[in-house]
Amino acid sequence: MGKYSDSTEWEDVDPIPQDDGGPNPLAAIAYTEEYSEAMSYLRAAMAKDEKSDRALGLTEDIIRMNPAHYTVWLYRADMLFTLQKDLLQELEWLNKISLKHIKNFQIWYPYHVPQAGKAEAYGLRRHHRQVVMSHIPTIPPTETAFLALMFAKDVKNYHVWSYRQWLVRQFSLWDSELPYVESLLQSDVRNNSAWNHRWFVIFARHMDPTKHSIKNGDADSEVPPEIIEREIEYTKAAISTAPQNQSPWNYLRGVLGKKGMGLVELKSFAEQYADLEKEDEVRSSHALDFLADVYAEEEQKERSGRALELLARRYDPIRKNYWNYRRSLLGLKQVGA
Amino acid sequence: MSLVSGPGRGGASTGHVPDEIKLVVEKHVEYIQTLDTRQDELEYWLTEHLRLNGVYWGLTALHLLGHPEALPRLATIDFVLSSQHESGGFGAAPGHDAHMLYTVSAVQILGTVDALEELDRRGKAGREKVGQYIADLQSQETGSFAGDEWGETDTRFLYGALNALSLLHMLHLVDIPKAVTYIQNCANFDGGYGVSPGAESHAGQIFTCVGALAIAGRLDLVDRDRLGGWLSERQLPNGGLSGRPEKLEDVCYSWWVASSLAMIDRLHWIDRDKLSQFILQCQDSEKGGIADRPGDMVDVFHTVFGLAGLSLIGFPGLVAVDPI
Ligand SMILES: [Zn+2]
Repeated sequence: MGKYSDSTEWEDVDPIPQDDGGPNPLAAIAYTEEYSEAMSYLRAAMAKDEKSDRALGLTEDIIRMNPAHYTVWLYRADMLFTLQKDLLQELEWLNKISLKHIKNFQIWYPYHVPQAGKAEAYGLRRHHRQVVMSHIPTIPPTETAFLALMFAKDVKNYHVWSYRQWLVRQFSLWDSELPYVESLLQSDVRNNSAWNHRWFVIFARHMDPTKHSIKNGDADSEVPPEIIEREIEYTKAAISTAPQNQSPWNYLRGVLGKKGMGLVELKSFAEQYADLEKEDEVRSSHALDFLADVYAEEEQKERSGRALELLARRYDPIRKNYWNYRRSLLGLKQVGA
Repeated sequence: MSLVSGPGRGGASTGHVPDEIKLVVEKHVEYIQTLDTRQDELEYWLTEHLRLNGVYWGLTALHLLGHPEALPRLATIDFVLSSQHESGGFGAAPGHDAHMLYTVSAVQILGTVDALEELDRRGKAGREKVGQYIADLQSQETGSFAGDEWGETDTRFLYGALNALSLLHMLHLVDIPKAVTYIQNCANFDGGYGVSPGAESHAGQIFTCVGALAIAGRLDLVDRDRLGGWLSERQLPNGGLSGRPEKLEDVCYSWWVASSLAMIDRLHWIDRDKLSQFILQCQDSEKGGIADRPGDMVDVFHTVFGLAGLSLIGFPGLVAVDPI
């Protein structure tokens, strides 16, 4: 008795039950009935390489129960292309289950599922989406709205970001991305994913992905100087709203690296947030870190060492070994515990 | 190996944290041993697609705890071999398609129980074919590795491929310089590495990139000070490590972050005592198992990475682990 065994649509098929590897196996499988039945029909359909509407429906059913089962996704994608299905319709279905999955994760997975299982489900949907999308010539107008909904749930979801970058490359969406990134940073200036994406749309577009040239410190003559200046100004403004925020400080170092001019030009900017003479008023440990490098660039070893000492002793003591290492590079002795 | 989580929760029993918490070795061994008796739970089949990984995690945890015998060796080998395909690749469990991740897990498990030659003796395909299956997933164009014939690439697959091939002594089957170039393309402006060129730095991906470079003998390409600075910055005031800036701490990053630091000789840049305190607070000291953070359900994934983290920082009572 079951959904498939009772259906006339599937009566020509002999389900193939799970072969769990012999008596008392290490990982014998205990399925609930509904899932187990659906899986036995899936095995039967796959065994004869069936490509049909009913098999598509079957994969949909199994994905509903277990979105982290990769075999079923592969089979489904294969059928979609063979049967020349409407891919926009597939996307629509994918949107629906993706959003539902985020919203009702506890319904899909009544117990807490290991993080890896959850991540796997995300990864498989993203991959399926990418496979489908790469067969569509122009980006469907609904796509950005869908991504906005996904980000509304979790704006740091690594899979969604990775998909978004793929999409930008695939459809060459470089110009429309920047305003979007700015709106994200406007609502949360600490969103490191958005800072990374900013870097991607501005600098990675100038990069030949087959050549190694993205690393910080490689001065890049292909990026116009006015863009470099604009990025420096933008980042300074972002730091002024929240000085103790590592993302823009990292970004600033990256941009200065692209410029190839060192950090010294931003010395007075950084000193606003960390004055070595006023130890109690330091507003940013990242400014201290930045200034330590500025002073070292200027051969002011003692000042540089003083900034590192403040970090080791007071502003970031959990990493005192790191700061002491930086002092040792200057030939200075360790700061005690 | 079941990936069912719970029943216990990490450190939930007492609100108050004693100054010195003990590692409950015997409890963790029992916890892992009982995982496979829980096949009547819904979550058991929902995580079937991870089963082979689960076996690897459980097995590794038992080795770290000094009880490698707690999982029956022959049954383990039988289960691994029953997931193999003629192509040489392995699925997550019998009846699942072959995929890079499970093939890597299979090789790692067989390597751990010293049974790689069983592939030649009674596998559906021998060592040579397994190595070839992995090697064929390398892209000639970019040097990266796909997870399966569908071509999704991820630095996880690249690391897994090199790790398994080095266990099989078959690194010569792949183009190492091309793979190395691909990893360099994943390096970011902040000193970290992402899942693909341009993707945000992430501690898990850093582990795979640095691990792959270590196997390739090209750690000279890493800016150790900058990467070490980024990695050590992941430690939060409670001692736990996070995977990215502005994200919460999680026990599994104890492994990804700390082992990456160890590979570049910068492990002492984090506060090891604080980290071990954090991990110990995540264990269920009554029923065994470790959770992602205090108060959450324990599971085998966080148990193994918590133990591996503790072992790496030299916590007494555990077998020493190799960071790669
Ligand atoms: Zn975790």
